[in-house]
Amino acid sequence: MGLFDKLVTLFGLRKQEVKVLVVGLNNSGKTTVLNHFKSEDDKSTEIVPTVGFNIEKFKNQNVGFTALDMSGQGRYRDLWEFYYKDCQGIIFVVDSSDRLRLAVVRHELDLLLQHPDVSSRALPILFLANKMDQRDALSSVKIASGLGLDRILDKPWHICASNAITGEGLEEGVTWFTQQVRQVGQPGNRPNRTGPLASGKNN
Amino acid sequence: MAFKRDKKEEEDGGGNPFENIEKTSVLQEARAFNDTSVNPRKCTHILTKVLYLLNQGEILGTTEATEVFFAMTKLFQSKDVVLRRMVYLGIRELSSIAEDVIIVTSSLTKDMTGNEALYRAAAIRALCSITDVTMLQAIERYMKQAIVDKNPAVSSAALVSSLHLAKTAGELVKRWVNEAQEAFSSDNVMVQYHALGLMYHIRKTDRLAVIKLVSRLTKQGLKSPFAVCLLIRIACRLLEDDDSAPGTDSTLLSFIESCLRHKTELVIYEAAHAMVNLRRTTARELAPAVSVLQLFCSTSKPPLRFAAVRTLNQVAMSHPSAVTACNLDLENLITDSNRSIATLAITTLLKTGAESSVDRLMKQIASFVSEISDEFKIVVVQAIRALCTKFPRKHSVLMNFLSAMLRDEGGLDYKASIADTIITIIESNPEAKETGLAHLCEFIEDCEHTSLAVRILHLLGREGPKTKQPSRYIRFIYNRVILENAAVRGAAVAAMAQFGAQCPDLLENVQVLLARCQMDSDDEVRDRATYYYTILALSKRNLYNSYITESLQVSIPALEKSLHQYTLNASDTPFDMKSVPLAAVEPLVLENAPQKGAPEGTLLSTPAAPQRLGVSKEESALELLSNIPEFAPLLPQLGPIFRTSEPVELTESETEYVVRCIKHCFARHLLLQFDCLNTLSDQLLENVRVSLEPAEGYRILRELPIPKLPYNETCSAFCLLEFPEELTASTGTFGATLAYMVKDCDPATGLPDSDDGYDDTYMVEDVEVNLADQVQRVWKGNWAAAWEEAANLCELEDTYALTSMRSLQEASTNIVQFLGLQPADRSERVQEGKSSHTLYLAGVFRGGHDVLVRAKLALADGVTMQLTVRASNPDVAELVTSAVG
Ligand SMILES: Nc1nc2c(ncn2[C@@H]2O[C@H](COP(=O)(O)OP(=O)(O)OP(=O)(O)O)[C@@H](O)[C@H]2O)c(=O)[nH]1
Ligand SMILES: [Mg+2]
Repeated sequence: MGLFDKLVTLFGLRKQEVKVLVVGLNNSGKTTVLNHFKSEDDKSTEIVPTVGFNIEKFKNQNVGFTALDMSGQGRYRDLWEFYYKDCQGIIFVVDSSDRLRLAVVRHELDLLLQHPDVSSRALPILFLANKMDQRDALSSVKIASGLGLDRILDKPWHICASNAITGEGLEEGVTWFTQQVRQVGQPGNRPNRTGPLASGKNN
Repeated sequence: MAFKRDKKEEEDGGGNPFENIEKTSVLQEARAFNDTSVNPRKCTHILTKVLYLLNQGEILGTTEATEVFFAMTKLFQSKDVVLRRMVYLGIRELSSIAEDVIIVTSSLTKDMTGNEALYRAAAIRALCSITDVTMLQAIERYMKQAIVDKNPAVSSAALVSSLHLAKTAGELVKRWVNEAQEAFSSDNVMVQYHALGLMYHIRKTDRLAVIKLVSRLTKQGLKSPFAVCLLIRIACRLLEDDDSAPGTDSTLLSFIESCLRHKTELVIYEAAHAMVNLRRTTARELAPAVSVLQLFCSTSKPPLRFAAVRTLNQVAMSHPSAVTACNLDLENLITDSNRSIATLAITTLLKTGAESSVDRLMKQIASFVSEISDEFKIVVVQAIRALCTKFPRKHSVLMNFLSAMLRDEGGLDYKASIADTIITIIESNPEAKETGLAHLCEFIEDCEHTSLAVRILHLLGREGPKTKQPSRYIRFIYNRVILENAAVRGAAVAAMAQFGAQCPDLLENVQVLLARCQMDSDDEVRDRATYYYTILALSKRNLYNSYITESLQVSIPALEKSLHQYTLNASDTPFDMKSVPLAAVEPLVLENAPQKGAPEGTLLSTPAAPQRLGVSKEESALELLSNIPEFAPLLPQLGPIFRTSEPVELTESETEYVVRCIKHCFARHLLLQFDCLNTLSDQLLENVRVSLEPAEGYRILRELPIPKLPYNETCSAFCLLEFPEELTASTGTFGATLAYMVKDCDPATGLPDSDDGYDDTYMVEDVEVNLADQVQRVWKGNWAAAWEEAANLCELEDTYALTSMRSLQEASTNIVQFLGLQPADRSERVQEGKSSHTLYLAGVFRGGHDVLVRAKLALADGVTMQLTVRASNPDVAELVTSAVG
């Protein structure tokens, strides 16, 4: 077995399988986002607040995703960290119309970034500024600055606006994400920031 | 039997692949659950080991359990059916130990509503084990759907889980009654059975609703034999309730009787079992049930034979005639190849048989007693105990048999039951005493159970000094001091001291031995030896009585509390022993070891014995009162609760309001607690109190009404009174009326229709305060000595004619109950055929006045009684004599 094969096996990429953690406050739309990616047969017609977590599987561009859809209610947020260790990427969903709780989102994000299982790794993070269709929704640029995303220097991240009900913006996000995971483990991989705000500062 | 099986397995050469597994290494392996890609076969195997450990009684700490639990949650990503089902089991096992188990709620609700049929039922059961009350609302909808699901496994799982949930969330589960009803009409036998279980549970507290349910179903005829069995049990429960309406009884009985002709053996057996166990069964109803059991005794199916003979064994004492009818069939079972059946058959015959057959049957049993398990050996021992009471003359044969059994191998339960039996024989049959004690002495020479050795030594100390030759026991007892552990040595020292105090001839020898014990290596043993040695050295009989022969009579937990309180407030006054509440004397319970409580939702067909609690009534009452903010500050003034009496019903059953009165007696105060229940669903009661017309001399100090009494709730109102100054005026009758304000309300919500209400009253029975409420029983080990010592106290004597009493036993029982004093020397039991009898009673009146009573009874056209009272207070003596008159 060559070095490359070994690395590939090591990161569980032989069959292009990736495990992602989907987090964000309650009611931000995590379950709705994942429901969008599921095949027609598996789709739930009705979405209720998640209690604890749920595991969903779907495929995108030949990559098999195992997504852990965590509950965002305050009572369960402490439990996210049990699952940081063995994930290969994070999708962080934000309700862009929930201006009041943006500070809460920032606090939860800080906790996540400081956690030893996350801070030490170059995990790709996809931010979804969800519910873009709402009238009072903040733009993705505003969300990125509100959360202080430019502080994240050691991880590839990307933010895009989305509407989980129609699926708008989700393809763009997940395509970026898939690329990132493919790159992980390959020599010369570097943290790579993209997105409206990041691209402006990144050269 | 378990013991036998283990041995066999050893011989087979380690068939158990998990024999050598070890907790730490299994927990280490369980980390594999976190691997990025799950290997289902490997993980299933590891999970099996975890479950095996838990089932072997291995204890996981919270952290360990939580770690395994969260690792296990990651296995939800695998689609492997076997692994997933193992995960459900894992969740159930760990749910009570690990933290944050609700994390799997959504995953489980997804599985229980999903398409994979193999997941659904198991997911429901797992879900219920992790759900707490706060989460229930969230899953209610799914539960309701699952109850009526087409798939019987799903429906059954949901019904059974609902029963479990009802433990913590009874009110919520009650709302699922319509779903349960729908499931009940299922064609599946299990679903119908489980649905009936839930329907009954929901209605359980509403007697009328249960009666309606049962009478509807008994007419309808059920498809499921299991449901019929349950219905029989419910019917029995209704019949056993004392206050059942006369009309329903006969229909219920004839329903049970009709089940004797059911086409399923299971139902036939259940009905027969129910009939013979019912308290009110008469000979006429019994006959058909017994002939069913008789038939079963001779079938070729061992389980049926076993069930039948076991039932006959259980009722052998209550219905001997029914069992004698089966004697021939039972004789045939003596040689049954199934030893359990044979044991039960023999012991049943022993219980009912004639004196002449005892020897033959004992020989038969002796031939295989070594082959049966401890559990069945205990059955044999119990049969022997019953025989000894029945045929006192046979005690030497039986005692020999018992002592042979004592020498055999066996566990603590078995040995304890033998020792108990010997002790019972000694107590009931004076002739057997010396032989019995000799057997026990021999037994403790070689007894590996500390608790048992201690009990026997205590018994030797109590009974030995009263035998003809007390000296022979000293050697046995002193041997323990040389050979045993500290607990046994301590007990031996105490036992020797009893001989020293009661047998003047032996005093000198005992003192020499006690002096040696003062060199013991154990503190407790040395302390005891020093204590007894010092008291015995003083040669004062009254000291012997109070400090050696009589045990400490205060309640130990209360003593500890009082001493602690005393040390907190430094004071110059010495500690007053009289301020400590006395220990309640346990009434003598000989038969029926306490049964284990049945789990929620099960309905045992034989009524369970009342629970015996470790705390006294007084202690639990005190705890209750100190939790009431209005009373807590008063309690220090009142002092400890002297006595709490049994609750008395002040209303008939099935009335609009149910009121019970509990009397708490303090040294100078009486606190009446009125437990009130409102059974009207359209009324909310406010400001509920019992207004009293106290007897002369009593003063009401405080009343505490119930602010709000909603439908179907029991709350307590209180009334605090001061006893009359004159002790002799302290017995009396208080007129009582329940007074309250009614607000009409909507039965569905319990909310009042308007803010206006009207005042109303309701007559209840009088409250009676009698002597027994004001005395505490005291057990005197040496009543005669105490009586002698009390000779200089105040003595009153009077003679009474108890014309309504028909026997000495009846008179004795009534007097003991009426005076509330403790009989000594088992004098409450009148020997059969005697025409006179003497009762020795002892107790303490509130305020710490000792009372001793001697009642000489003689049979003469009713019973005549000469009552002599010695009390430390003349008023108390007068109160006792006047209470009887
Ligand atoms: N208008 C709008 N509504 C959305 C969008 N995404 C989700 N929702 C709605 O937001 C609500 C919450 O969505 P969920 O997917 O349950 O949110 P969640 O993040 O999974 O919430 P928790 O499981 O409680 O943590 C649902 O009523 C969705 O229909 C969106 O892009 N636009
Ligand atoms: Mg969700």
